[in-house]
Amino acid sequence: MSFLSTIRWQDLVDITINSYILFRLYVLFQGTNAFRVLVGITSLWLLQEVAASIGLILTSWAIRGISAAAAIIIVVVFRNEIRAALQVRNLKTFLWGSPTQEGAAPVDIITESVYQMGKKRIGALLIFPGKEDLGEYIHGGILWNGTVSQEMLLSIFWPNNPVHDGAIIIKDGHVVEVGVLLPLSQRMDLPSFYGTRHRAAAGLAERSDALVIVVSEERGRVSVAKGNTIKPVAQPEELNQHLKKHLNLSDGVPAQQRRREKIKFAVAAVLSLFVITGIWFGFTRSQDTIVTLNVPIEYMNRPLNFDILETSLDEARLQLFGSSAIIRSLRAGQVQVRVDLSKAVEGRNVFPITQENIPLPPGVFLNKVQPTTIEVTLDTPITKDLTVQADWVGRLPENLTLVKVTSSPETIKVIGGSKILEKTNTIYTAPIRLDSFAKTGSLATTVVLSPPSLKLASGSSEKVTINYYLEERENTARK
Amino acid sequence: MAESVWRIPTFIFFFLILSGSLFAGTARGQKEEPAAAQQVQSQPAPAEQAPQKLALTKTVMCEKVENLTPVRQAAVFPVSVGQVYCYTSFDTIPQPTMIYHRWYHRDELSTQTRLRLYPPKWATYSVVQLRETDKGPWRVEISDQTGHVLGVLRFSIGD
Repeated sequence: MSFLSTIRWQDLVDITINSYILFRLYVLFQGTNAFRVLVGITSLWLLQEVAASIGLILTSWAIRGISAAAAIIIVVVFRNEIRAALQVRNLKTFLWGSPTQEGAAPVDIITESVYQMGKKRIGALLIFPGKEDLGEYIHGGILWNGTVSQEMLLSIFWPNNPVHDGAIIIKDGHVVEVGVLLPLSQRMDLPSFYGTRHRAAAGLAERSDALVIVVSEERGRVSVAKGNTIKPVAQPEELNQHLKKHLNLSDGVPAQQRRREKIKFAVAAVLSLFVITGIWFGFTRSQDTIVTLNVPIEYMNRPLNFDILETSLDEARLQLFGSSAIIRSLRAGQVQVRVDLSKAVEGRNVFPITQENIPLPPGVFLNKVQPTTIEVTLDTPITKDLTVQADWVGRLPENLTLVKVTSSPETIKVIGGSKILEKTNTIYTAPIRLDSFAKTGSLATTVVLSPPSLKLASGSSEKVTINYYLEERENTARK
Repeated sequence: MAESVWRIPTFIFFFLILSGSLFAGTARGQKEEPAAAQQVQSQPAPAEQAPQKLALTKTVMCEKVENLTPVRQAAVFPVSVGQVYCYTSFDTIPQPTMIYHRWYHRDELSTQTRLRLYPPKWATYSVVQLRETDKGPWRVEISDQTGHVLGVLRFSIGD
């Protein structure tokens, strides 16, 4: 159990957050086709892992391909379901809300209206969508958006109404669409007396998670189609229960069923925790991969009165290990060696490079570091006047001699480390070629700050004017 | 060749001539004895005057020193001249002393030469043999034995 002592509080938070995300995904998507396909893809992935682990090369390769394609397909095909699950009214509902459907339909009004129509032999077809999008199954609907009332339902299905033959969609207490055409069921086991209306109800129910109520025009019988079943409902109370169950209205769900639901969610929560814990251990505890990285060294908390004059190295060589998934995902910049200079003194400082200097991403561990120490030389910045000197290159024409050089300004004020400036007395211009000189003159050029750690003091300019004086060379041959 | 002449009552002329070529090819970076020296002219006995300060009267870079006279003074020399001289002459030398010619190539000390001075006036020089790697800006610092810089000469070695 010694590994328990290595678990940090961050790891617990990590597992909890991801377990909750998984659980919420289950809650939001459960019962939808998208969820079933997700389960299928997960099964495929597990199968592929098993196939790979026992050395089934072709099988694992093929399953991997199928899984990859399926992952893309699911996003495209089930985009509406995904959008419906994620488009909740507020963040609280998204993070904590119960899976009950938002906004209940006035169940009692609907039940009463349905049986009224049955008595009057008015045929009717009422659709109560579930979580799935019905767009690809239905067509021909006319937007209605009327609040549900008994009178309105009766008038819609009144035989002389032009839209009475179609179905209506009831959502959130509103008749959303009327005159909707549904796909017919192709099942052969349906009773022969079922007409087009019943076949349409069965056709939509078996393709989606919608509940469809159908009222027979001939017999006045009320039936409910859900999933692959279509059955007559004789009592309004029974229909009421069907509707409340479908719409997840808690007061309509029997206590036993509610308890079952709670147990189901509890099991899902525990399973989510187990799955994520397993994945977490797989990610962080399988320390099977070692990688060597050259990592830049970052110096922190440098005392303001010092400059870094010299360091013995710019990057350290780290040998890291962890699970292959985490090691592979390491990117440049994620790992740094940080050296704290807050206690550094002027001159040479030696700092050890240890685990404390190297903040690593979770799941990545340090095996070895080279070198184990770093030398940092700090210096105090000072200001110094450096004499400007022209950096002549090339060769003067044979007949000329450069006898005198002056510069304006003669000196330039620079700022740099005292150790550097102690040895520096001259600031040189950029190279100036002599080859084309013919007579005394002047030229404008710039100075070159070397080493680059030197800076021009405020008020100093890098531009200088060099005046040069040429004379005819004495008539003596050069060596 | 050495020659000395007495003139009564007050002036002493003392010439000391040594060949500059004695020091050609001296290794860099070593402290050396005077490369060449000459007492150019004597002054009244210093004991009768206030303490005098070493005065650098002339300092030039040249291609050659002939008869203790700088020849072909310049600020830029082609590397092909082979050697460069730093000629210095001093006045009011109160007592025998030493000076240093420190040669810096791009601010890095390349070589230094220790030179002796004798009262009352003295001229002396140091020389550096040139190599291809010596191209670039140079400076020569003339300092006394306490390290006080008496003068700085700047020049360049070109192609």
